[in-house]
Amino acid sequence: MRKIGITTTVPSEIIFAAGAVPLDLNNIFITDPSPNHYVEIAELAGYPRNLCGWIKGIYGVAVENKIHEIVAATQGDCSNTHALMETLHLKGVQIIPFAFPYDRDRDMLMLQLNKFMNYMGVGWLEVDAWREKLQRIRRLVWELDRLTWESNQVTGFENHLWQVSCSDFNGDPEAFYHELKGFLKEVKMRKPLKEQVRLGFMGVPPIFTDLYQYIEKIGARVVFNEIQRQFTMPFEVRELVDQYLLYTYPYHAFARLEDLQIEIKKRQLDGIIHYTQSFCFRQIEDLIYREKINVPILTLEGDRPGLLDARSRMRIDAFVEMLR
Amino acid sequence: MLFCGIDLGSRNVKVAIMEHNKIIKTAAFDTINFYRNHAVKRNQQLYIDFSSLDIPNCDRVVSTGYGKLTVKLAGADAIAEIKAHYLGAVHQCGLDDFTLLDLGGQDSKIIKIAGGKMVDFVTNDKCAASSGRYLENMAGVLGINLEQLSKYYENPVELSSTCAVFGESELIGKIVEGYSMEELAAGVNYTIFKRIQPLLHKIGYNPLVFVGGVAKNTALTEILKKELGASVIIPLLPQYNGAIGCCVYAFNIQQSH
Repeated sequence: MRKIGITTTVPSEIIFAAGAVPLDLNNIFITDPSPNHYVEIAELAGYPRNLCGWIKGIYGVAVENKIHEIVAATQGDCSNTHALMETLHLKGVQIIPFAFPYDRDRDMLMLQLNKFMNYMGVGWLEVDAWREKLQRIRRLVWELDRLTWESNQVTGFENHLWQVSCSDFNGDPEAFYHELKGFLKEVKMRKPLKEQVRLGFMGVPPIFTDLYQYIEKIGARVVFNEIQRQFTMPFEVRELVDQYLLYTYPYHAFARLEDLQIEIKKRQLDGIIHYTQSFCFRQIEDLIYREKINVPILTLEGDRPGLLDARSRMRIDAFVEMLR
Repeated sequence: MLFCGIDLGSRNVKVAIMEHNKIIKTAAFDTINFYRNHAVKRNQQLYIDFSSLDIPNCDRVVSTGYGKLTVKLAGADAIAEIKAHYLGAVHQCGLDDFTLLDLGGQDSKIIKIAGGKMVDFVTNDKCAASSGRYLENMAGVLGINLEQLSKYYENPVELSSTCAVFGESELIGKIVEGYSMEELAAGVNYTIFKRIQPLLHKIGYNPLVFVGGVAKNTALTEILKKELGASVIIPLLPQYNGAIGCCVYAFNIQQSH
């Protein structure tokens, strides 16, 4: 089956409608038993040491797994994606550009969707049918999110994992749906979790592999995963274009801020962990969030994949201690 | 009742002894010597030979510091460094609203305290460029000791490197250019300020309570006063602030029982 690599959430409806399968390269990278070897592939190829670990990991995954076609978010995600695509192009990979317009312009986004559909050779009829299919799954993930913060039966990691997987539905939406249904059934039998501190996680998914588990070990829990939740497109709208316009991640910080403010209140968060990658432009945005969000914020930085380092653990300890 | 606080730092292990609510004794040991000569590890726990350290037997021992995560001190409670420093500073200066600046061997911490409670903090990350270790290295390059280094803050040489190691070669370059020792030392002290200035702006800084080994650097205190226009308070025992915080924690637990 034709596999299309993706570097972030893009309209997967179009890929599925074309009879192809989206493959989130981030997920392959981070779930590998030794993810660092993908980073090393990129560094050996000449990628700088002081560059985001996710970008290097994606490069390594694409090269080693011989991915032939990749959708590149040329706007609305990391600007390093440009050079990533150029270096992959050099390796013979077919690049499909997709741009989320900075100003959230509906017409511009529509144009992007049409161009992407043209490339994939599909029409609106098939795409809309797939949108319906995927919405059915997404609604179940929204329910899982509700079970995380409202009835407190889902852990922070489970919430992260299911939501983040909505970028490509693990390449098999039908299997994803059934597995999720089974999981929800099991979860609803659980006793509510009772932690002392309720945290929100904002920013790109963490490169640390034990963050959620560590937070729970010290008596706190993440009950809101900002970007991961956005990957589930938590909005009921009629048209695909509106769905991707409401989606906050690829647009400016203020769109994210609006979403954050609502959820902080609704989920009664005691504090927020703002996670950014080392060397990422999003570290600059921290100053906006610190000024505009009125619950305590811990800014956490990650570089390469692996367990939390001693310093980050110390900072999380102190933050949770402070909120208790 | 005697309480013992131990701050397992990267350069020194600091010990404070508290009787009731008063600190009655402090002692500092070189970290490497401390682990080598006065402690043994058994069953994943660290046992300290208190008699060899001339430290009296205490009713309760509380530890903090970098070592806290890697070694569990036998018979002691462990608390987070930031908490220890916050408790220590509130005890030492008796204030309820201030910003705490702790510059240690490798770490920089800035903690905001409002209404007697810790409300925000920032720390340095994976870099020791504004720490005591950096000052030690630079003093070594200049061929002077830390006490001499900490006297100068006027006419500082501009040093731009943000790395504790590359900073050395830049300093050597400035020596070659013929700057005086005073100007070079002042430049070194200013780099510490430049590294922590953005962090202080993030958190706020008036009044500023300055602790940690680097608080002994009087030039830096002068720079902080001059550049920030803030009042800078150095408590009686800046280097022992974390260990004192551990004692306060032990005392509070005892009181609550």
